[in-house]
Amino acid sequence: MINLEPYGNPQYFVYLLIGLIPLMIGLYHGHRWRWYQSAVSLVFIFLMFDSQKWQQGVALIGFVIWEWLMVGGYMAYRKKANNRWIFYGAFLLSIVPLLFVKITPAINPGHTSLFGFLGISYLTFRSVGMIMEMRDGIIKEFHPMLFLEFLLFMPTISSGPIDRYRRWLDDYQKVPDREKYVGMIEKAVHYIFLGFMYKFLLAYLFGTMLVPKLETLTLRYGGTGFSWPLVGVMYAWSMYLFFDFAGYSLFAVAISYLMGIETPMNFNRPFQSHNLKDFWNRWHMTLSFWFRDFVFMRLVFAMMKNKIFKSRVTVSNVAYIFNMLIMGFWHGVTWYYIAYGLLHGVGLVVNDWWLRFKKKHRESIPHNKLTEAFAIFLTFNFVCFSFLLFSGFLSKLWFGHY
Amino acid sequence: MNSSKRLWLIIGPVITAFIILLLLLLSPINFAHNSAETERRAAVSLAPQVFKGRQIKKQALAGKYVPFFGSSELSRMDPLHPSVLAQKYHRNYRPFLLGAAGTQSLTQYYSMQTIDTQMKNKKAVFIISPQWFVPQGARPDAFGFYYSKLQTVDWLQQIQNTKMNRYAAQRLLEMPSGHSDHAIAQMLRKVAKGKPLSNYNRLQLSVSALILSHEDQLFSDYRLGHNLSKIDKGVKQLPDSQSYSALDKTATTLGKENTTNNSLGIKNSFYSNRLRGHVAELKGEQAKFDYRKSPEYSDFELVLNQFAQTHTDVLFILPPINERWAKYTGLNREMIDQTNNKIKQQLSSQGFNNVLDLSQDGGQPYFMEDTIHLGWRGWVAVDKGVRPFMANKQAKPKYHINTRYYSKDWQQLDPTAQNLTNFK
Amino acid sequence: MDVKETVISILNDLTGNDVSEDMDTNLFDSGLMDSMGSVQLLLELQSQLGVNVPVSEFVRSEWDTPNKIVTKVEGLVD
Repeated sequence: MINLEPYGNPQYFVYLLIGLIPLMIGLYHGHRWRWYQSAVSLVFIFLMFDSQKWQQGVALIGFVIWEWLMVGGYMAYRKKANNRWIFYGAFLLSIVPLLFVKITPAINPGHTSLFGFLGISYLTFRSVGMIMEMRDGIIKEFHPMLFLEFLLFMPTISSGPIDRYRRWLDDYQKVPDREKYVGMIEKAVHYIFLGFMYKFLLAYLFGTMLVPKLETLTLRYGGTGFSWPLVGVMYAWSMYLFFDFAGYSLFAVAISYLMGIETPMNFNRPFQSHNLKDFWNRWHMTLSFWFRDFVFMRLVFAMMKNKIFKSRVTVSNVAYIFNMLIMGFWHGVTWYYIAYGLLHGVGLVVNDWWLRFKKKHRESIPHNKLTEAFAIFLTFNFVCFSFLLFSGFLSKLWFGHY
Repeated sequence: MNSSKRLWLIIGPVITAFIILLLLLLSPINFAHNSAETERRAAVSLAPQVFKGRQIKKQALAGKYVPFFGSSELSRMDPLHPSVLAQKYHRNYRPFLLGAAGTQSLTQYYSMQTIDTQMKNKKAVFIISPQWFVPQGARPDAFGFYYSKLQTVDWLQQIQNTKMNRYAAQRLLEMPSGHSDHAIAQMLRKVAKGKPLSNYNRLQLSVSALILSHEDQLFSDYRLGHNLSKIDKGVKQLPDSQSYSALDKTATTLGKENTTNNSLGIKNSFYSNRLRGHVAELKGEQAKFDYRKSPEYSDFELVLNQFAQTHTDVLFILPPINERWAKYTGLNREMIDQTNNKIKQQLSSQGFNNVLDLSQDGGQPYFMEDTIHLGWRGWVAVDKGVRPFMANKQAKPKYHINTRYYSKDWQQLDPTAQNLTNFK
Repeated sequence: MDVKETVISILNDLTGNDVSEDMDTNLFDSGLMDSMGSVQLLLELQSQLGVNVPVSEFVRSEWDTPNKIVTKVEGLVD
């Protein structure tokens, strides 16, 4: 049985394109053939999860049914009433599969949960977001089919970007006019080739050629503290992470465009960020915006409304730390993901303090090209250091295992 | 501009590029014939794309080049290095160095798949490192670094249902590299179970082989590095006479000049770049190292089985460990001796009788270039084995492979003298 | 005080600037507002004008200039 890992190699794009050409011809002529789009998506999703990955495929089916029941059930309830405890219950139940998948390896090292499949967290974000928007009364209808088409939107199924239901539905229910669609194809071609360079050249160069060599050097000769090869691991792995993930995201966005859907971009030159806040507006944007809108802002809203803390600064600091800690836990329940989240939380607190200080002393603090360059340099290095933590290599170096 | 014209301007170049690529990769043309100069550079480059490739190796080995399989010691290119000696004294062979840090038996086995025709009834030198035989065996990341789909495809194209192939397929499946291509992973599972490949599988393999061999021809002579200049520089430092007393004198002088900043007999640059600063923490650090039980023993059997299959006449070299270093780091001497005994038993019991055992020479001055790698006088000792081996016509080797060496029993056997004698 | 004036005074308080000078300035790009400020804005709108805007309604691109905010709020008050 053939199994095709999404965007795993250049040939995949040939297969994908062959499948998408009829859809594209339709869109070019002003039609969206939903049945064809669903059919071709299902074929490619099947090919991701078949053969030796069939267990993941079964988990995916179970997950989809579960989320369908949760979201559909909550909508049915929400039309009649709005009890907060029911909302909490629906919210909790919809993240239960993800919780299982994240906690299993922490309790039982080396084991992965049977509920797991590639992309579970991204799908969870999509459906949890819907439940929260239903609670707010923004989403007023549950369409059984549209929900499935959104949840299983093929280009982004395994690693995002994380789209929002209402935005996606807007695109999906219309067909871009011809001029706009040709423009989208143009962008898609550009993104695919840029993605080739990112994922198949640069990520390969850093991830496959450089990182293992530097890691070996560090493990053999670097000792457990500071060493130059370790610094090399830090930078090379950071570059690998960016090019691999940004390349992947470019592919997902490009394929969405070919299907007439403007899935949001995930990266915007993150290594040119002037400060940490700026960084999170440029790095894995759909994730950090999701967290901003569904965790940070809601938490701030609740804390301010209930006047839990007197000072606004305290409110935002608590929210930063909580937000980033949750993000850390979401990556996985290991010390280095949690430390990564905490580091970024503290980093954002310090960053915010500095921005306030700078605003207050606007006249006495110089601002020129040189200070900007320094800010970018500092941010870049902080971020790379946090990625070294994130990579888990320190765990390997200190404790002998990931 | 109307939309359809704009559309063609967008996808036209993509289609053109795609067609050119197809022509380049699928046409039956052979693109490369490498110059003698490229062969010389490739033979000492130690570059991964040469190791993983095929074209350059095949062409060079069809000529006067002889494969020198090994690992990190091959990069110790002082003037007494085999490549320098062969060039300086116009020997009838030139070493083609195959291996670098991290290439162990399993990697070597797969790398041999692209050159089996060139190895048939020929000679080869194989340097074994006891350090390969760690309890967990070949490291997946190092294996992945040198893994080549081309070699696997070559191997699968001529697969037969033998113990060797089943074991090799199973080992490859234990590595992430074995799963890097789903079609190949699926074929490996068949091979491991002793099932035949389907006709569709063979078609997949032929298409892959065509594409990969063109990739290899087009790209593997890039970035061959600067090692050749080290060889050419070394040639100038050698005495005119290749008598062993003259060579030994040069080796001693060079060794003395280059080991002045430490008392461990380690080359200055190695010591200052890699050891200084944490020498203290390394004291006694290797006391627990143990090479006696390892899956590597069965991986090594793959290599032996391959040699037997191509009737290659092989000189095996067992290098020592820097004795002062071993004492300092607390390495267990008896463990090392037992490891070497186990390897030697595996060799001799199957008819591999050309073994140059240098394992007792780690205490000789300037024998090792650093901790575990041969250098100056060590290379001279190697040459004492290599020169006659290459010069004289050898009797046709008679190997008899014992598949028991693929068993866990052998991998995990505690190599006491008693146990080794009893193992059949 | 009409809705427009109230909104502007809220924004002035939040940003520490006089936003009426340029009603089309992008408050997020210029660093005058952030997610913290957005939440405060929503809370102030609630307490001063009685309009309830859930957090999910707050799509940045629709709330990023004083003019857009005024139009949005005016629409919600009616």
